[in-house]
Amino acid sequence: MRLLVVEDDPDLKRQLVTALGEAGYAVDSATDGEEGHFLGDTEPYDAVVLDLGLPKRDGLSVLEEWRRAGHKFPVLILTARDRWNEKVSGMDAGADDYLTKPFNMEELLARLRALVRRSAGHASSEIECGQLRLDTKSARVTYDGSPIKLTSHEYRLMAYLMHHKDKVVSRTELVEHMYDQDFDRDSNTIEVFIGRLRKKIPVDMIRTIRGLGYCLSKGEDAG
Amino acid sequence: MRVNSLAFRLFAASALWTLVVLPITGWVLNSIYRQEIERVFDLRLDTAWWALVNLSVSPGATTPREPTATAFGDPSYNVPFSGWYWQINPVDPAPADKVLISTSLQGEQLSLPKTGVTTPLGSAYAVVDSIGPQKERVRMFSKILTYGDGAAAKQYRYIVTGNLTETDVTLLRFRSTLWLALSLLGAGLVLATFFQVRYGLRPLQQVEQGLGDIRSGKAMRLEGELPTEIVPLQRELNALIKSNQDIIERARTHVGNLAHALKTPISVLTNEARSDKTPFGMKVSEQVGIMRDQVQHHLDRARMVARSGSLGGATDVKPALDALVRVLSKIHGEKGLKLSATCDDQLTFQGEKQDLEEMLGNLLDNACKWAKARVEVTATRLPPAKRGQPAMLQIQVNDDGPGLTEAERAVARQRGKRLDETKPGSGLGLSIVTELVGLYSGKFDLDRSELGGLSARLKLPAA
Repeated sequence: MRLLVVEDDPDLKRQLVTALGEAGYAVDSATDGEEGHFLGDTEPYDAVVLDLGLPKRDGLSVLEEWRRAGHKFPVLILTARDRWNEKVSGMDAGADDYLTKPFNMEELLARLRALVRRSAGHASSEIECGQLRLDTKSARVTYDGSPIKLTSHEYRLMAYLMHHKDKVVSRTELVEHMYDQDFDRDSNTIEVFIGRLRKKIPVDMIRTIRGLGYCLSKGEDAG
Repeated sequence: MRVNSLAFRLFAASALWTLVVLPITGWVLNSIYRQEIERVFDLRLDTAWWALVNLSVSPGATTPREPTATAFGDPSYNVPFSGWYWQINPVDPAPADKVLISTSLQGEQLSLPKTGVTTPLGSAYAVVDSIGPQKERVRMFSKILTYGDGAAAKQYRYIVTGNLTETDVTLLRFRSTLWLALSLLGAGLVLATFFQVRYGLRPLQQVEQGLGDIRSGKAMRLEGELPTEIVPLQRELNALIKSNQDIIERARTHVGNLAHALKTPISVLTNEARSDKTPFGMKVSEQVGIMRDQVQHHLDRARMVARSGSLGGATDVKPALDALVRVLSKIHGEKGLKLSATCDDQLTFQGEKQDLEEMLGNLLDNACKWAKARVEVTATRLPPAKRGQPAMLQIQVNDDGPGLTEAERAVARQRGKRLDETKPGSGLGLSIVTELVGLYSGKFDLDRSELGGLSARLKLPAA
């Protein structure tokens, strides 16, 4: 899962990036409206945290332009403006949720999790695939009730596959959603991580579909 | 009319002037009239005196001749004790000497007083005011005439009197009429002054009322056609009010900017301290929480004060309600809430759109946070309870959440109180609603909902 944080305050941005990184997301960040707009326009994010009062370009207009361009990623507005008419105009511009400063990091994480899940079409905070369970709240994966130990990169890969279970996910897509933009991307590492995941769950749950990518499903034997 | 007022000053000055001038006028008029009356009176006496002399003196006679009653022109001298008398008596009476008297004296005799006798310049006789036989006030004209020559010469005193009491009565009557007229005139003037002052100062009342309206927020400036003398005052006042409003507006913007600018650092501190479980971290956490509430509180206050300046305007309820329902459905969509709103057509709220949104937004947000599956909003126009009362509208927000006990409902409306710390939010929602409703003189009740949860009911002025 890859997120974009657009926030002009350097300290808050650092905190957001850290907290979101710890929660298992790959995080990109921008400090002004133009940079934020460019990143959102060019990278496939799973969710965006957007401040409204931004230098160079106002957050609302950035959001409106993303929506006009057809970007569907969920956007959470994080702003000090707490009047209801400001919330209404934010939501009408295409935001999916609205959080006012000062805020609780836990609440931000919960809302983001919900946004990501909903945009992938899952209603509950737990996603199941056969015996495999992903608890988005605690960022834990269990198989048949027993926890599976995952590194952060493995977790990101697993979480993305779980959110898009029963769908074919291309290798590029995985790369784009697993790493932030500064990471030295090498699509071969994906194969390495897939290999590691296959060792921790029944092998046939992640199938390789030649020329297309991977697909996580219940598997023939299990369930 | 208070003592220290323009009206009282104008009134008192005018009344004082009237009270000084009218008595003087009265006194002058009275004097002129009395002089005139006396002049006529003296003329009459003068005529009578000369008549008496002409009738009694015959050439070569040594004693006065008694005038016949009818020959004497003035009939008053024949009326008994009329106060109009004449008398001719010798100055040194011999036993044989006769005293001649008018019919009106009826045998009584007049005597000249010893004092007070004057001889006015240019008159032939002495004049004295005295008492007649009936104790009436009389004026006497008296002169001594000499009959005969040498040793045979004999002096006779001629006295003619006129009734002063008659004159006194006439004067008294005139004076009472005069005073009555003048008193009426004075009262009339004072009354007229009173109304003049009120009428003249009425524009000031208009100014006072205008200023009251500005203070109570009904008007933004001093309006109306005012007299030329007050127009500069009006202009200056409006300029002053405008500059005041500008200052307030700037100050408010600064408060808002400050508050908003503080929110980001507070967020940073909150998050930083949250991960620090040392006593220091806990302390920072606690203090930052207080800062957050303070910032929010003063921001709300600044907004609230801004509102009280202008409560005008009418807001359509339906679009505002629909927008909020749309937003909240999106925000709380995850729970699968069914959020429904019914609103009377053409329902308008007498007040600012922002305030309506703030009240409704907070109530709906609370309902959505706690509801299990359903939130229902109904907005209706209430018929006025009594004729002449302003129309009201009622907005009811019902949810099927756990609801609140009676004690909890009382606490919920206080600032910063949160009944459950586990649900997100600053806990300021309901207290803002309470304050805004108070600002609009509306009513805000919490009750048990038909859906099982909380029912929040707003009564607000309708436009």
